[in-house]
Amino acid sequence: MSIMEYNGGAVVAMVGKNCVAIACDKRLGVQAMTISTEFKKTFQATPKTYIGLPGLATDVQTLAEKFRFKVNMYRLKEEREIEPRTLAHLVSSTLYERRFGPWFVEPVIAGLDKENRPFICSTDLIGCINFAKDFVVSGTTSNQLYGMCESLWEPDLEPEELFETISQSLMNAVDRDCLSGWGAEVTIITPEKIITRTLRSRQD
Amino acid sequence: MFSTYPGQVVVDHPVSVPIEHRFDPYVDNGGTLLSIAGEDFCIVAADTRQSEGYSINSRYVPKSVKLSDKTVISMGGCYADCLTLTKKIQQSMEWYHHAHGKTMSTAAVAQMLSIMLYQKRFFPFYSWCILGGLDEEGKGAVYTYDPVGSYERESCRCAGSASSLIQPFLDNQINFKNQESQRKQLTKDQVIRITKDSFTSATERDIYTGDYLEIFVITSKGVEVQKMDLKKD
Repeated sequence: MSIMEYNGGAVVAMVGKNCVAIACDKRLGVQAMTISTEFKKTFQATPKTYIGLPGLATDVQTLAEKFRFKVNMYRLKEEREIEPRTLAHLVSSTLYERRFGPWFVEPVIAGLDKENRPFICSTDLIGCINFAKDFVVSGTTSNQLYGMCESLWEPDLEPEELFETISQSLMNAVDRDCLSGWGAEVTIITPEKIITRTLRSRQD
Repeated sequence: MFSTYPGQVVVDHPVSVPIEHRFDPYVDNGGTLLSIAGEDFCIVAADTRQSEGYSINSRYVPKSVKLSDKTVISMGGCYADCLTLTKKIQQSMEWYHHAHGKTMSTAAVAQMLSIMLYQKRFFPFYSWCILGGLDEEGKGAVYTYDPVGSYERESCRCAGSASSLIQPFLDNQINFKNQESQRKQLTKDQVIRITKDSFTSATERDIYTGDYLEIFVITSKGVEVQKMDLKKD
């Protein structure tokens, strides 16, 4: 039994044409038993950036609150919103602070910078950043998500097409993982607006 | 001071105890295979890389073997076990042919393989088998196995190191899961394209998959083999 597989969960983010998408499942379990089907793992950091936190649920909640605090403090001190790339480094430092007793999460960050250029990245549980140009995956379903995204993703997808691609990637991947699923939430971030949709999937 | 349990003896000097030296009989040679059943055809595809840990033993060692004009078997896992198992199947099929005057049908081979695998229940063949072929009605058939012989007929399956990457993609593209449109039966060319896409994606993300891809296409006309390059890194 691995501690990263205690609660289960899946998060994926993809880059499109002048947009990004981030999606997560909604299951919270205690090993084989499902406790909640409304446990979302993506959180809004700034008006144009989202952070996804799959892994041990207690750390998901704690880090969501820690990052909310740090982003708010940044906004107060700098009098501007934090850029996604800077947030990535903030997340990385926060995780590495606990190098020898880590937070059991592997975050995913997706957002648009001040020039509305898409940005995604993921980190491991001790803060190593993976700057990807196409997509990033994390959670117990990462192998399945790698297979789906590698096959379905293509560059320069419009927001509506990106929504379909990320939804199909997540839904089919979590259907092959018993620790993830029970619904999904997909967020598309464009320069004009952010659209969040809840998907109904297999409820098992 | 640490606690002791009944029967435990703690001493303050070195002791000599017997150490069991073991030989691990299993080796994982990696690789990925898949099989898809169509209306009147069957595809069995496997990559050809053979690895051991982080090393590559060979870039071209085929994992699939043609058993008859209607049946192809593909095996991943420990190559030594796969070789022996293939030999046993082929020899049994030859005995059957001499005894009954006809080639074994796909369903018969399927059941026989299950029995062969279970006969070594307590020292298993470390092989992930997929049997693909045409059934007696000429329809595509895929039988999947676990290492001790549990088997089931399915419409499509992948096995091996990148199986967790490819299987959800097959669910989506072959069985149209999570899609509202239930499209018509897929043609042979569509299925071959899906197979090639699956392997190129798997090669990107799995270190044990790559080099070459061999696709066996089984139709009523016989078995045709296609070979294509995969990334060699």
